[in-house]
Amino acid sequence: MTTVQREQLEADVLIVGAGPAGLACALHLANLIKKHNEAGGASGGTTLSAENIYVLEKGREVGAHQLSGAIMNPQGLAELVPDFKNSAPLDTPVTDDAALLFTKNSSLRFPLTPPPFKNKGNYVVSLNKIVKWMGGLVEAAGVNLFTQFGGASLIYEGEGIAGVITEDKGVDKNGKPKANYTPGYELRAKVTVLAEGTRGSLTKQLVEKKNLSNINPQTYGLGIKELWDVQPGRIQPGFVAHTLGWPISTDMYGGGWIYGLSNNRVSIGLVVALEYADPRFDAHAAFQQWKTHPLLKKILDGGKLVRYGAKSLPYGGWYAMPRNYLDGGLIIGDSGSFLDSQRLKGIHLAMKSGMLAAETIFDALKAGDTSANTLSAFPEKVEQSYIKKELWEVRNFHQSFQHGLIPGLFQTGLQFISGGRGLIDPMRTHAGYQAYKKLNNSPPGAPQSEPERFKGDGKLTFDRLTDVYHSGTRHEEDQPCHLIVRDLDVCATKCVVEYGNPCQYFCPAAVYEMAQDYNGRPKLKINAANCVHCKTCDIADPYQIIEWVVPEGGGGPNYEGM
Amino acid sequence: MKILVITEQRQGKWNNTSFETLVAAQQIAADTGSAISALVIGKGVANFAEDVAGKNIAEVLLVEHDLLEAYTPDGYSLALAQVIASAKPDLVLFPHTYQVRDFAPKLAAMMGKGMIADCVGFHKEGDKSVFVRQMFQGKTAADVTFQGPAPWFASFQSGAFRADLLSAHPSGKAPVNKIVVELKPEQIRTKPLDLFKEAKSAVDLTQAPIIVSVGRGIKAPENIPQAEALAKAIGGEMAASRPICDEGWLPMERQIGSSGQTVAPKLYLALGISGAIQHVVGMKGARTIVAINKDQNAPIFEIADYGIVGDIFELMPALTAALEKAKT
Repeated sequence: MTTVQREQLEADVLIVGAGPAGLACALHLANLIKKHNEAGGASGGTTLSAENIYVLEKGREVGAHQLSGAIMNPQGLAELVPDFKNSAPLDTPVTDDAALLFTKNSSLRFPLTPPPFKNKGNYVVSLNKIVKWMGGLVEAAGVNLFTQFGGASLIYEGEGIAGVITEDKGVDKNGKPKANYTPGYELRAKVTVLAEGTRGSLTKQLVEKKNLSNINPQTYGLGIKELWDVQPGRIQPGFVAHTLGWPISTDMYGGGWIYGLSNNRVSIGLVVALEYADPRFDAHAAFQQWKTHPLLKKILDGGKLVRYGAKSLPYGGWYAMPRNYLDGGLIIGDSGSFLDSQRLKGIHLAMKSGMLAAETIFDALKAGDTSANTLSAFPEKVEQSYIKKELWEVRNFHQSFQHGLIPGLFQTGLQFISGGRGLIDPMRTHAGYQAYKKLNNSPPGAPQSEPERFKGDGKLTFDRLTDVYHSGTRHEEDQPCHLIVRDLDVCATKCVVEYGNPCQYFCPAAVYEMAQDYNGRPKLKINAANCVHCKTCDIADPYQIIEWVVPEGGGGPNYEGM
Repeated sequence: MKILVITEQRQGKWNNTSFETLVAAQQIAADTGSAISALVIGKGVANFAEDVAGKNIAEVLLVEHDLLEAYTPDGYSLALAQVIASAKPDLVLFPHTYQVRDFAPKLAAMMGKGMIADCVGFHKEGDKSVFVRQMFQGKTAADVTFQGPAPWFASFQSGAFRADLLSAHPSGKAPVNKIVVELKPEQIRTKPLDLFKEAKSAVDLTQAPIIVSVGRGIKAPENIPQAEALAKAIGGEMAASRPICDEGWLPMERQIGSSGQTVAPKLYLALGISGAIQHVVGMKGARTIVAINKDQNAPIFEIADYGIVGDIFELMPALTAALEKAKT
């Protein structure tokens, strides 16, 4: 296919990604337009309509790719949907919050819960349910919400962007069109809003191409989660606990969560920063090991795994926030680094960033000017909002832990009393993959001692394939691989010696495995159909040669209830 | 306005979408006060022209030529270009069939015209004809209209109009007018061979009483024939777990599991299959499961009725030989 004729559609606003940020943007903008039209604002000249807002979502349905702990600070939602307490699926308010220090066989509760772990007034929620509910509101407001369509590439125009081309459907593994071939649509818009979530594939292209990076590169964590139905009485709904320590060593940054939901359901998970020295560290195995702690065992014993998932999250904060506006484009939510890395909370900030973007776009559409000139109002609004206040206080927080837990805690203390400044401000950091230490054993070609993979007992702990099964992940099998490795030779010759192919270990969905070719040489095998869209490979590959691109729309996990 | 409907028939049979497109034409004609011509094209197709003459249309155009006996994109587009030049329609409507998809874009391009393909509706906006097309897998519909002078080309999706609404000619029959087209053999650059129906390649594993299934333990595609020999000896169908089909060692339609088929045969012989849950959900309903695996901790043994901890490369030939011997 040399030239592809694409259907063209034009919208006022095109939002890529139906998560908390994208949907808040769509809903708030639709509300603003409604008010404007009711007040007879259309007489001014430009007629605005919610129908000219398009939202793209790569998941099978709205919410299918949403994964979070999640404890939600309701601040954002309260502004977006003032009567949310009556209508939103909030599950349960936080009743008790504990910070626990784990050793292998015991846990110690901090006598006072440190401020970042305090969650009074927050809710334990299923982000999947919240987002699904928001999707309903957005559609009811007249916005065009298209599920099963991903943004495959950006349309660049002049200094900025002018829309998105959706992914081609019906292409076989060799890139040849199948009987159901449909070329992607060319969607043009006055404003394109990138709300792709963590490590957005279009956002990544755009930030690179237009040099939008801030002083720090974005850094990430990886969260691995299981949802369990447990025996009655094992945990109070609204009880939330955060664990530090075992099995995460002190030279790493990470911790666990245990959240009690209603109906004897528990959300558990482990987050680790994707900046560690051991290239063979297996986050999934660490999570499984964490579940064998007596405290977890007690809760989970006799229970049943309901669902599994994994997702990366941006830790970089204020100093990693990319420039978030350009001609015809804005970046919001996780894609724009709107996440508080100290509290690991981003839902409310994502929503707020979406709402501020909506206000910016509304003014721009009315003025008939969607250039960077007008859209630069967005970062100004962010600056004046509580987003800035919250992110500014923790602007050096995550960076403090790059040399381990102890110096991190020390510096955090100093930051706490100096309003976030601490010893060094701004504190710089490196991209996480640069933290790997090379395997310094044996000459090239010599057999590598590979750690044995975690198997699980099938009751409390599971291997990765079993967990992936519980993520509900599905992809059309006959399609081009959506994990593009630029140079497979690097994997087979260089990486195998230098790092032992960390992709086999960091991927929480068993996508990557080193097999052997006919001549017995190592060969990377990519089980793309297992991919849960966490983006870890794109982030954590030591050579940065893995490119995550959108697969055929509708593929991916099904995070029902997550 | 003058509407020309291109009908389609093959091997003595109507393509029913032709009638649906005639219904669309009748509705457009009623909205716009137009006259409908219906074209029948081929060789020896006068009976089809008579058939369609009974419908409520102004005339039937019949084009017959030796070179139109079998469909070719060159023949059809050259002939239709001549028909359009002589009949001078404003609007040319096609049923959106595979054949139309093949030649209509070529015809439109040849005549320097656009085409609105795969429409599901029509309405008038002022004096403009507006066609409705589905987008985003049917989630939304777009109104599309033509720019520039007639003729305009459009095709209608199968099922968009109801063929049973086709109204008959009020006074018996519309006239059938023959149009002579000139085609030379050298203009037809393709040579159609015999029509054939694609053999149904997909095996229906769900109906197989015995399935011999291979997993990663088979190691290399060269080893598959050993399993096939066993399958033949036992009278079973070959199947595989995902990695095997993913490598292309067996076709995808033989994949068992969550992303393949779900089967419940009388006997399921699992060779070198570890028993990941993704595979197990596709075969756990089998009445008897026999598993052979080197690893005694392989989860497949948890669901197997009979398990052999051993090397499939020793056991496959041995089993095959034993089965062959039992037959004699």
